[in-house]
Amino acid sequence: MNEHTYTLEIRSLRAGYGRYDVVHDVSLHAFAGESVGLLGPNGAGKTTVLRSIMGLVRHRRGQIWIAGSDVSRLPAHRIAKGLAAMVPEGRRLFPNLSVEDNLRVGGLRHRGDPVRFHSLLGEVFDLFPAVELHRKRPATTLSGGEQQMVAIGRMMMNDPALMLLDEPSLGLAPLAVQSMSKALLSLKERGRSILLVEQRVDLALQVCDRIYVLSDGALVDEKLTSEVDDEGRSLIDAYLG
Amino acid sequence: MNSVIVTQQPAGNAGGRPDVAATARRTIWAPSLIAYVLCMFFLAHSSAYHQGLLLVAAAYAMLALSLDLVAGTTGLYSLGHAGLFAIGAYGTAVLAERDHWSVFAALPVVVVAGAISGLLIGALSLRVSGLYFAITTLIFTIIVTVLVSNMSITGGYEGLSSPTFPSFSRSITSVVGSSLTWAVAGCLLLTIVVVWSIRSSAMYPVLLAIRDSERFASSVGVRTSLTKILLFGLSAAIAGLAGWAFCFLGFITPSQFDATASINVLVMVIVGGLNTRLGPIVGAAFVGLFPVVVSINSLWQEVIYGSIFIIVIVFFPEGFVGVVSRGGRWLLSRWSQRTDANVQPVGTGAPVLTPARNYVPLLRPALAGPVGGNGAAPAIEAAKAARGEPLLRPDRAQLGGVDGVTPALSAQAISFSYGGGVRVLDDVDLVVRRSTVHGLIGPNGSGKTTLVDILSGALFPETGTITINGHRAERLPSWQRADLGLMRTFQTAAMVGELSARDNVTIGLFNRYRRIGLRSPAWPMIPSARHDSRTMAASAMEALGAVGVRPSWARTRIADVPHGVEQLTQLATACVGRPSILILDEPLAGLSSDEVDQVATILNALRGSGVTTLIIEHQTRFIFDVCDEVTVLAAGQLVKSGSAAEVRVDTRVREVYLGQ
Amino acid sequence: MQILYTGLSMGAIYGLVAMAYAVVFYVTRVINFATGELLMLSVMVTTGLVQAHLPVGVAVLVALASSTATGAVIYFLAVRPVLNFDRFSFAWLVSTLGVGILLESMAGLIWGTTALGFPSMLYGRSVRFLGGSITWQQIMTIIVAVVLAAGIELFRTRTFAGKLGMAVSSDPETASAMGVSTARYAVFVFALGGLLAGTAGVLVGPISFANPYLGETYGIYGFVALMIGGIENPAASMAGGLVLGVLVTLAGTYINTLASDWFPFVVVALALLITPNGIFMSGGALRKAFARKTVPRPRLPAEQAL
Repeated sequence: MNEHTYTLEIRSLRAGYGRYDVVHDVSLHAFAGESVGLLGPNGAGKTTVLRSIMGLVRHRRGQIWIAGSDVSRLPAHRIAKGLAAMVPEGRRLFPNLSVEDNLRVGGLRHRGDPVRFHSLLGEVFDLFPAVELHRKRPATTLSGGEQQMVAIGRMMMNDPALMLLDEPSLGLAPLAVQSMSKALLSLKERGRSILLVEQRVDLALQVCDRIYVLSDGALVDEKLTSEVDDEGRSLIDAYLG
Repeated sequence: MNSVIVTQQPAGNAGGRPDVAATARRTIWAPSLIAYVLCMFFLAHSSAYHQGLLLVAAAYAMLALSLDLVAGTTGLYSLGHAGLFAIGAYGTAVLAERDHWSVFAALPVVVVAGAISGLLIGALSLRVSGLYFAITTLIFTIIVTVLVSNMSITGGYEGLSSPTFPSFSRSITSVVGSSLTWAVAGCLLLTIVVVWSIRSSAMYPVLLAIRDSERFASSVGVRTSLTKILLFGLSAAIAGLAGWAFCFLGFITPSQFDATASINVLVMVIVGGLNTRLGPIVGAAFVGLFPVVVSINSLWQEVIYGSIFIIVIVFFPEGFVGVVSRGGRWLLSRWSQRTDANVQPVGTGAPVLTPARNYVPLLRPALAGPVGGNGAAPAIEAAKAARGEPLLRPDRAQLGGVDGVTPALSAQAISFSYGGGVRVLDDVDLVVRRSTVHGLIGPNGSGKTTLVDILSGALFPETGTITINGHRAERLPSWQRADLGLMRTFQTAAMVGELSARDNVTIGLFNRYRRIGLRSPAWPMIPSARHDSRTMAASAMEALGAVGVRPSWARTRIADVPHGVEQLTQLATACVGRPSILILDEPLAGLSSDEVDQVATILNALRGSGVTTLIIEHQTRFIFDVCDEVTVLAAGQLVKSGSAAEVRVDTRVREVYLGQ
Repeated sequence: MQILYTGLSMGAIYGLVAMAYAVVFYVTRVINFATGELLMLSVMVTTGLVQAHLPVGVAVLVALASSTATGAVIYFLAVRPVLNFDRFSFAWLVSTLGVGILLESMAGLIWGTTALGFPSMLYGRSVRFLGGSITWQQIMTIIVAVVLAAGIELFRTRTFAGKLGMAVSSDPETASAMGVSTARYAVFVFALGGLLAGTAGVLVGPISFANPYLGETYGIYGFVALMIGGIENPAASMAGGLVLGVLVTLAGTYINTLASDWFPFVVVALALLITPNGIFMSGGALRKAFARKTVPRPRLPAEQAL
């Protein structure tokens, strides 16, 4: 396997906060166009892995490559120049800004290229008609599900090589989860590389090609989604508690 | 099951290692005191110039200590201390010079005046917090400055000359030196004793808890508002005392007590080291002595002075003392790493963290036999003998009612919304029966944590009633519910990061010991208090052992322990006060499967000894294995409440929460 | 009317200083306690250069440039290192105060501590307007202050760069994950704060003599204006300044001359107690500024954010 077909490669990542580690030794990869799930219980270190990739946590050991570039020592705002973009846990829309302005912040790197910018905006509105409907409203007045769409749209506006999603189903009504998973599937159909952090196994199995299971800061399982049968499923459930 | 938690082997020391630091602290005070007296003796004989210099520094040290008492420990960054200082200084000068009072008669008057002003300012902290508190208190200082600058009684901008301090008779002076030096030295010593006593008392962790997490403090029964006000009153009294000492040291003018002076006091504390024993003293000595020691052109002096501020803070953001103690901790960790291979201190060296599974072997004995403290101090044996009951058992024996039937905790028709917005809880009923484990489950955002906040008094319901052990409680504040025997943990652990796990657990004992706050200013001098300190530490170690936290973690700062240990520490904090009702908000988040088993064992043990537990958890396997009854919430409404078996097969529950 | 004019023009100065605090705090959550000294710096530079026979216009421009640049330097020298160590520490309180002391004493070394006459500019004469007389200097001050407040408010809410600033302000970490360089914004606001304080200095110069201790007075009054107005919205801090200016003048006129020293503060203290969130809503942000984070584990800040 030639390294350039990886969109994401992580080798023996160790990361944490303060003086202690959350992630001990994680190596994982995602091929171009693949959507990969990272499952695990609360506190397993999923979010820390994601934030290390995005450059929001300075990791202590290991390397991270995105689309062939070593991003291990890059600050977040450099990584956001097309390599990766994320939907943070709990959405974290900018509360003072309108929906459209949130999307524009997401598309910051295309400011010099209005054509590209508007085609991306069109793509987002295409996928989420509800977002276009509310484009002038302050972002935080939307419902949880709609806010999650804006957050995903904000990430799409960056048009990154790698899309990172941190528990997009968190706190959403079942119906909103459904429409969100549809959106993720459609992103996958468009050939995007996705790393999805989830606690909900069903959602991850539905959207991802392959899943990793993380527990106590280390990987304990890796499976192609197609290989996960009932037995495998109950095993994963056991890890997630 | 009743025998659980009773220690099987009275193994030597609670920590497993002799507490070197504690021994050092016990033996060092006498030599220090002698050294202090000797220094003062020499100072009292030295030239008036040196005396004046050092005594001014001493007065500032008292002021800085008093500020650190409120700023460092409870986070009340007061800029009113220069005003309080002025009350002491001007009060004494006016009473002595104009009204010809004895300066010793003036002393209690100005201290009480300071204390009263302090109580009033402390009360402000209930209305305004953070920076606004700093500003409001700054305005107090400005007003005091304006008053003393413009009143004729205080000499206006000219100020007042210092009242004469009665000197010893000539023969005594030739032996002991100047009386003023002894008076100021005595005041400083008194201040140090009071402030350091509080810092070494059982109250200190509680004060830090008020600073870092007020809801945690009130959940263990602390009256946080009252505590803050009283502490501020004490701090202000010390500031008044400092002012009393200061007024004998030279002319007093308004500019010594203005807004800039107030900020300078805070600077002393920060430059020296906020929330440290020596920091305020070092900072005050630096700020007080600098202009005199470096005697060059006053502008150049200021240039250097300003530069030192910047350099100190940029390179040592924790102040002078912070640097030293950081270095000390580093050396200590190096040392203990070499001497004790079992302990894995956090610090230098390769493996910073021991993953949770590495300490499972230490848990094993606890899991195998009855859950026992794996190493309790003799003191705890004594404490238990005195009370004649096992730890972790509810203290209130006369609860009445039948186990498993009578409601211990019940809520009827609870409705709630944040700020009048969306209904978070809508007409929810919950009955938790005595000596059962009751699960509370539901999707994210269904209102579980809100309900728990309402039950524990962190929030108040719009409608509905709450009954705790037969007492109506919906209007009671948190601390009163803690007194009714209810303790809780928080979803996002809210503990004091800079304290060890053990010290955090002692906070949970707050309402088990009497008058901790009132005894704190003289804590080490009171035998019963010293005894309480020992039993509290021992109970804390016992509780930590019972929940499976290894002794070496118990001594590590909470900020440095893994999430799992923090969660278990929180559990120990809630259990150690022997509540009759325990509310746990997602206690399993981040625990390994061994630790989850451990928690299950603990919950069973608690149930066996009569404790009622309400637990929020997502791990459904755990819930249905451990709980007797389960309540399911969804979107703020009650979906189902019943026995675990009933709830598990309920079709609506499967629909909204469990899935197929 | 006369009082109102005087009050408003003084208030405009306080308001400019308050805005200088506010723009910095808005993005970085730091209060630059050397702001008053930046005002003093521009007064002293103008005076010094005019004494060296440079044209007034040039002197003013150099003065504005120097306070702007000093503002940016303060960020690199005294704020960035502290925040890199611990974003929730407020050790910046000491380091920015240190910069203030440094600036004040340096100014004393360079220009001496005696009061110098500020060069008189075009606006010495007065006109009568709506039943009171107002000097051109006062008119100029009020106009500049209002235009700047409006301009900053428009920049903040109408331009994309301003909206990015709002994004950085509300969530620096997420903003940096979107590709915003938060450090660049921090430098920008520190420089802008310097410019605002410098402008206030040039405007206040003609009515106050030039001396190195100007900074302290205006620093404190500007800060109180900030308290009144609040920080979420720089235009509101200008309003706070105007209110304070009028209060000071009213107290000085109707109570006695000393009252202007304490009356405004008493009013502010009472107002704070009645409305703990600030009079014009400034809200929770300032409260949180000194509130310590417990264990900042779950959401650690971006390592390079600000």
